[in-house]
Amino acid sequence: MNPEELKYTAEHEWLKESDGKIRFGITHFAQDALGDIVFVDLPEVGDTITAGKPCGEVESTKSVSDVYAPVSGEVLARNDALLDTPEMINTDPYGEGWLLDVAMGGDAMDTLDASGYESHTSQI
Amino acid sequence: MSPLEPAELSSQRQHELQHTPLHAWHVASGAKMADFAGWEMPIEFPLGTVSEHRSVRAGCGLFDVSHMGLLSIEGQQAVAELNQLLTNDLDRLADRDVQYTLLCDELGGVVDDMLATRLAADRILLVPNAANSVAVFALLQSSLPDATVVDMSADWGLIAVQGPGARSALSGIGLDSEIKYMTATTADYQGREIIISRTGYTGEQGYEVLVPRSLTQQLWEQLLDQPGTTPCGLGARDTLRTEMGYPLHGQDIGASIDPLTAGLSWAVAWETDFRGRNKLQQLRAEGPKHRLCGVLLQGRGVPRPGMKVLRDGEPIGVVTSGTFSPSLRQGIAIALLDPRIQIGDEVDLDVRGRAVQAVVTKPPFVDASPR
Repeated sequence: MNPEELKYTAEHEWLKESDGKIRFGITHFAQDALGDIVFVDLPEVGDTITAGKPCGEVESTKSVSDVYAPVSGEVLARNDALLDTPEMINTDPYGEGWLLDVAMGGDAMDTLDASGYESHTSQI
Repeated sequence: MSPLEPAELSSQRQHELQHTPLHAWHVASGAKMADFAGWEMPIEFPLGTVSEHRSVRAGCGLFDVSHMGLLSIEGQQAVAELNQLLTNDLDRLADRDVQYTLLCDELGGVVDDMLATRLAADRILLVPNAANSVAVFALLQSSLPDATVVDMSADWGLIAVQGPGARSALSGIGLDSEIKYMTATTADYQGREIIISRTGYTGEQGYEVLVPRSLTQQLWEQLLDQPGTTPCGLGARDTLRTEMGYPLHGQDIGASIDPLTAGLSWAVAWETDFRGRNKLQQLRAEGPKHRLCGVLLQGRGVPRPGMKVLRDGEPIGVVTSGTFSPSLRQGIAIALLDPRIQIGDEVDLDVRGRAVQAVVTKPPFVDASPR
């Protein structure tokens, strides 16, 4: 369910490092708990986000949730396709449903590997 | 992310929750279950709220609404006595007619809204909301000296069959559904009598079928075997009714939101006596202090109950129900507004500190009709 090559936060974000940037999104568990996602609010490219602080919102028919920045750094890219098709977070949370690319090198929240995250969600 | 909201965590407090006859079916089908008015109910099935909503607008959705109350009021004087309590006029009903009506308190607040069906000259069936059923039952028992009030809730299931495909779903299993909007009929199902009403809470053509508890799952599964039928949860029921501007007791009507404020004076028969009449007549003469209206968001965001409606930065009302409209792909709300605000006025919705442009409307938000 949760790809082995990714890292995870206890706040239900996934992270992937590549080419000097960190891509992150929300996990399958998070999108399933939220239900149909209908709006996404994300910072602009060039904005700076701070690890552990809210950096956006994901809203479903049922409720709204803050997205917590898993790392500190400058936003290098934003998944603008989500503005029109936020349901991609439901259908492909680890692929087309990514949220932001952030420059590497800043502070980061503690992360878990896939099995650690699995046991974290099984306790909820 | 913090996807688990308090309302959802309550689904983990399952000990005292009541179960409908379809509870085991819902759990086995992978529905997300949660506490609703003391019942563990399906909020959505694996298809999800938005798809379930669309299936009702385009095909046929099935809802388990067995949690709702079912009260029978019987006796020679039953209709006359009940008519002294309820706001609408039961004398307008012929046998098998259905009427939307309200039970108010002496201050004009709404104890509950419900459908009343006249089964015979001496028998009325009421379907109150799950959360209010016990209170309505107790109030009727103590207020109707010459009527017999029977709480049948535990013995009956209730399945709502809603959408343009509802009629063929019912006729596909041999049930007569050629009846007019807001009327009811009885039918034989597996040797037992069931009651089919042309009623609903979605804005689409549809039916609500009262079926003995022991036969509820059989009927549910038979209807699901019909082409184009989809099981739907309370999430879709809420987005569908909000698109129509139908009030939900406890949010859009209640002790502090009277029928006049809610725009429900069409369900108040002034020529009859009813509980709260004096107070409501006084309110009618003074003019309501607020008015329930629709609010359609122009910008991005989902209205939620309790959010403020602003004009020129000043608060002029509050959202009582709000959701994302799957039909419009926009945020929609029912809101209690200053009576000086007119339909068509431009306002803002305070979405967690962000002002989102919106326009005041008269629901329904969508072009649908249950007739």
